[in-house]
Amino acid sequence: MNRVTQNLVLTLLGCAVLQISAFSTTYLNYVKPGFRPFLIGAGAVLVVLGIIGLLQAAGAKKGTEGGADDRPLAPHHSDEHDRPGENTHGHPHGGPRVAWLLCLPVFAIFLIAPPALGSFAASRDDTPPPRDQPLSAFPPLAGDGPVDMPIGEFIGRAWDDDKKSLTGREVRLTGFVVPAKKKGQWYVTRMQLACCAADAFPLKVSVRGLQAPPADTWIEVTGTWIPQTFKKMPAGVVHPQLTGKSLTRIETPDEPYE
Amino acid sequence: MLVIVLLAVGRFALAPHLTAPALQTWATIFVAICVQALPFLVFGVALSAAITAFVPASFWTRALPRNPAVAVPVAGAAGAVLPGCECASVPVASGLMARGVTPAAALAFLLASPAINPIVLVATAVAFPGQPLMVLARFGASLTVAVLVGWLWLRFGRSQWLRVPSRPHGEGPGWTRFGEAMRHDLLHAGGFLIVGGLAAATLNVAVPREWLATVAEVPWLAILVMALLAVLLSICSEADAFVAASMTAFSPTAKLAFLVVGPMVDLKLIALQAGTFGGAFTARFVPLTFALAVPVSTLFGWLLL
Repeated sequence: MNRVTQNLVLTLLGCAVLQISAFSTTYLNYVKPGFRPFLIGAGAVLVVLGIIGLLQAAGAKKGTEGGADDRPLAPHHSDEHDRPGENTHGHPHGGPRVAWLLCLPVFAIFLIAPPALGSFAASRDDTPPPRDQPLSAFPPLAGDGPVDMPIGEFIGRAWDDDKKSLTGREVRLTGFVVPAKKKGQWYVTRMQLACCAADAFPLKVSVRGLQAPPADTWIEVTGTWIPQTFKKMPAGVVHPQLTGKSLTRIETPDEPYE
Repeated sequence: MLVIVLLAVGRFALAPHLTAPALQTWATIFVAICVQALPFLVFGVALSAAITAFVPASFWTRALPRNPAVAVPVAGAAGAVLPGCECASVPVASGLMARGVTPAAALAFLLASPAINPIVLVATAVAFPGQPLMVLARFGASLTVAVLVGWLWLRFGRSQWLRVPSRPHGEGPGWTRFGEAMRHDLLHAGGFLIVGGLAAATLNVAVPREWLATVAEVPWLAILVMALLAVLLSICSEADAFVAASMTAFSPTAKLAFLVVGPMVDLKLIALQAGTFGGAFTARFVPLTFALAVPVSTLFGWLLL
């Protein structure tokens, strides 16, 4: 990998990061919203570093004009600490060849443009980790008509609310569709992130009484909670249930995770 | 140029075919790990480059106590204030040795600095929201292992095992050296970060959750598996907390073992150390570190988590 390529790779990587953070909201498919300034900063540093390097490399080429050494800016260096531009001496750990891998995220971002995790990830993963719920800290639901509610809150109120504040209330949940194995129901689902999409896990509410839309469709579903009949939580994964009343298809939201 | 051409061709030729749900999920997780880790990597590399370029090496010899047995913990603790990832810590440690610092102290620094510096601890706190004890346990266990290894090396280590490199001091204006050091570290550490991201995303999608859940249910096996994963994945210490947090099936102690072993022993570090200090050194140093890191992190996990 020569000097120009190295700096080109850094610049491209920086551009890819800026592309998803500064110029679009794609970064929300991967990380939490508060991460944006850090991404923009990192992308900018990479671009600046790469462009300065490219300019220096261009200047060095002009200066030496075909000379063997195209790096007059770093005169002394040792075998142990080769600059990556040195590909003649054996680098102690495989040299900068590993840096080619930095092209992979660039390719992934520009070619695949990976979407937010959908029904494939949500139906694969049926082991929701235990979460710290502030027990019974739910304020009573105010107002009339359907209440907009994150799916996580719905699940919390369904399982852990002593006052059963969901009883008889109409709620509106937003999420995407995951087909269920059991007949006559499907899941309205939202993924929750602790940190980034690698640790996402699904929050699911089982919907009954409505025809299942195609998988991965984003919807708003209005309905009422079906109180569970069992006293103790059964073994395995159980999802709270909702009697669906109406259904609206919506655009994929900018912020796909809860 | 080739890269740009490939990008342009790929955009039109390949993009329609890259839609299988498994592949997309894999790509999302891969990009997510990279995107999440990159700002930390850039920040860490910038600080370590600033130290390489702007702090004179003689400073460290003056700052450390003369008695080697005292210098070991001091050097280990110095790792807490000097940010640097493991790729940077190997050249820094070899530079310290070349300038007459006791090898054992330089080794304690080598082990401690990538694990307990402020950036890594902040990254750990971000990755484990609401679990401040994880940060504390990581700090305590890593520092303990680093100091223990340093003392053992002081007592039993032989100088002929260790090839202390002597090398000329890099010259040139500070900003040029700063940029050079940053590029060097970014290309290396970044490349190995991608290796880790690829492996982690593949594990995440390809390995059925039941397997990991089965392994994760046996406490001692989970700890060993996570320690070995840390060696194999070779994730930069600035990013490894995020990968550990994503392994939701494992116990906190197993995650702690991952966080303690990762910055001290992994494939890219073994390669780096063998290249810098020689094979005889690496063949002794790496197993010793691993054998100490696993029980110490188990102990800290049991006490704190």
